Order: sequence, then C-alpha cells, then structure tokens
Amino acid sequence: MTTAKRLQGDKLTEAEAIERAKQGDAEAFHFLYDLHRRRVYSLCLRMTGNTASAEDLTQEAFLQLFRKIGTFRGESAFSTWLHRMSVNVVLMQLRRKNLPVVSLEETMEGDEEGTVRKEPGAPDERLTGSIDRLQLQRAVDELPPGYRTIFVLHDVEGYEHNEIAGMVGCSIGNSKSQLHKARLKLRDLLRANRAEKAGKR
Amino acid sequence: MNCVEFERVLLEGEHSPEQRAHLDSCSACANLLADFTLISSQAKLLLAADEPSPAVWNALESRLRSEGLIRPAEASPSRRDFFWRWRTAWLVPVAAVLAMVAVVRLHHPASAGDNAAVAKQIKVKAPVTVAVSSDDQQLLNTVNSHRPAQRARYRADLDDANAFIRDAEQAVKSDPNDVYRQQMLINAYEQKEMLYDLAVDHVSEP
Repeated sequence: MTTAKRLQGDKLTEAEAIERAKQGDAEAFHFLYDLHRRRVYSLCLRMTGNTASAEDLTQEAFLQLFRKIGTFRGESAFSTWLHRMSVNVVLMQLRRKNLPVVSLEETMEGDEEGTVRKEPGAPDERLTGSIDRLQLQRAVDELPPGYRTIFVLHDVEGYEHNEIAGMVGCSIGNSKSQLHKARLKLRDLLRANRAEKAGKR
Repeated sequence: MNCVEFERVLLEGEHSPEQRAHLDSCSACANLLADFTLISSQAKLLLAADEPSPAVWNALESRLRSEGLIRPAEASPSRRDFFWRWRTAWLVPVAAVLAMVAVVRLHHPASAGDNAAVAKQIKVKAPVTVAVSSDDQQLLNTVNSHRPAQRARYRADLDDANAFIRDAEQAVKSDPNDVYRQQMLINAYEQKEMLYDLAVDHVSEP
C-alpha cells in the first residue's frame, strides 16, 4: 500500500495535508501530488501534445506549487490555485520554445471573415452519438497549438474567455474566435476519422 | 438571419430568438450547433484522463529533498523541545557578551588585535573534563539510550566545545573591543549547537 493511500485510509483531508506539507512532511507532499497529478498531467499533455514535455511540466508545476505552499492561506480552493499555476507553467514553456500560444492564423486573417465555415449553409452531416475519448484526444492533439491552447483552457478546463484572455495575453474576441475555429477544426477531424473508419469496414 | 450571421452570433456565445428561428429552418446550422455542444461536453472527459509515469514523482521528490522542502522526520516532542530549548538558549550568553561589548565600544575606540595570537590563545588549551550541565547530561543520556557506542565520543566532543566556549568567553572579557574574539565566541557556541544537531540526527535515525 502506498503512503498516500494509507493516508487516505486514515482520512487525511486536503487541508490537513497542506498544513503538514508546510512543515516539510514528505507523506503530505505525496498525498497532494496523488490527489492532483492526473489533472495536472492531462492539462500539460493536452497543451503540449508530447508525453516527455508533459511530464517535465507536471514536475515543474508541482515544484513551483510546493515551493510556495507556505504562502497558501486558503482564500481560494487549493485545486484552483494549483491548476492556475500549472497553466502558467505550460504557457511560459510554450513562449520559451517560441511555440504560438495564440494561433498565428488569427493574426494573419481578418478577425471576422476567418471564423465562419467556408460554405455556410451547405448540407452537413451531423456527428452522431458520443465521441470516443481517444478519438477526441487524437483530434485535439492534431489542432494547431494556438487553437489547442484556447480549446483546452475553455472546453476542457472550464475557464471563461475573460480569464483566458488574461492568461494568454489576447483579447476576449480573439479567444472566442479561436475557440470557434478550434471546434470547427475538431469537427472536421472527427468526421474525417469516422469516414476513414467507415471506409475500412 | 442567414448562416453567416448565425455563426457570428454563435461565436459570441449569444442566444437570440432570431438564432432559434434560423435553426428551425437550417439543418446545416442545427447540425453545427449540435456538434459543438457534443464536442464541448465530451471535452470534459479529457480533464483527468491521463496518468504520469512514477518517474515524475521520483524526480519531484528528489528535488523537494535537495531543496530542503521535504525535511527529515523530527525527534519525539519531548526530545525535540529539549533540543530546541538548548539551541535558542545559547543565544542568550552570546547576546549578553555582545551587548557588553557594544557598551564598552562606546567609551573606548576599537583597536585591531593580533588575530593569530588570539586564535592560538584560544585553541591551544586542551579540553578539561569537568562536570557537565544538566542539558549536556540529558544529551548524553539520550545518546546513551539510542547509541551507547557513541556516548564516549559525544562526551569528549562536549568537553571540547565547552572548553572552547570558556576560553572564548575569557578572551572576549579580556578585550571586549576585539571583533575577532567576538566571532570566536560565536563560533564556539555554533560548534556546540552542531553537536546537538548531530545528536538529534543520530537518535532520529531508525
């Protein structure tokens, strides 16, 4: 049985673990890591599309969190604090690697015209039923980095456009426009994936 | 409302009666909206979908330890209190000596001493085995109960540290203006503090 599981068995709460982590308790750090590792790692993986980078960023996000845990006063939820910090770590890394945080396409095209379907009103086949998680994951990974960032922050992580604009450093309109494009692109990718599967049968 | 206008409204996340009217008459836009809703709802499945490898925690733990964020388990409360009390207690005599030095310095301008000679004066004296204080005795008893083989070494080191403190105190009293002598006294107390730290580490080890 792992240490964290034992602590969970002893009904250690997150608040208690935070206080113990402030005292340098190794088990408390492990408990907090176990509690949040999947969400932080998934965020990093979705944003970068690369497992090695995602693992490095997960480590970096938790390290930054634990360095600052002494300043956590509980005014906000611990998870909110952690995930906001994780987003900042990922965005900083993208900028450091000169990867576009906001899609370059957005700045190249007119903000208005670039958002709509190429053939509005043309008959569309609807994506029926539920989307397979792996299919969606693969499609998200295929998005251009700028679109991916906004889609993950909005539709996966649940941030509002004004929050995203602040984090990413773009306008609210830009964030909305990129989300729209990301969804259009995802729809195309998922359809293509279904067509490909149907062709194989 | 036409399809282009509908899509612009959709992009803004607004809902209007015109939009609804358009959806009733345009299957393409109705399908688009349904697909967007489906994609957004399914996106939540990706929230905590993946698991990092155990190597991430191992590397993180190693860094937490190297940065001192994870600290070794402490000794039991009674022992911890005792050691903490001693660690803060040594500051009192040092502070008293330094306060006395400050007063003297106000009346007598400082003069540089012969540091080498002072060091020699302080260091050459062999430690004298004398009766230990109650704190020192408690330290020795604790070491004795956990690491009997180490007791003699701790006793010798304690005598050495106490002798160093006595000599340094004497040196400061003879020339309170000498910064070097003051530093020696601090070093002497730090040496003893180190002994207590070592004892804490030893008795905490499994």
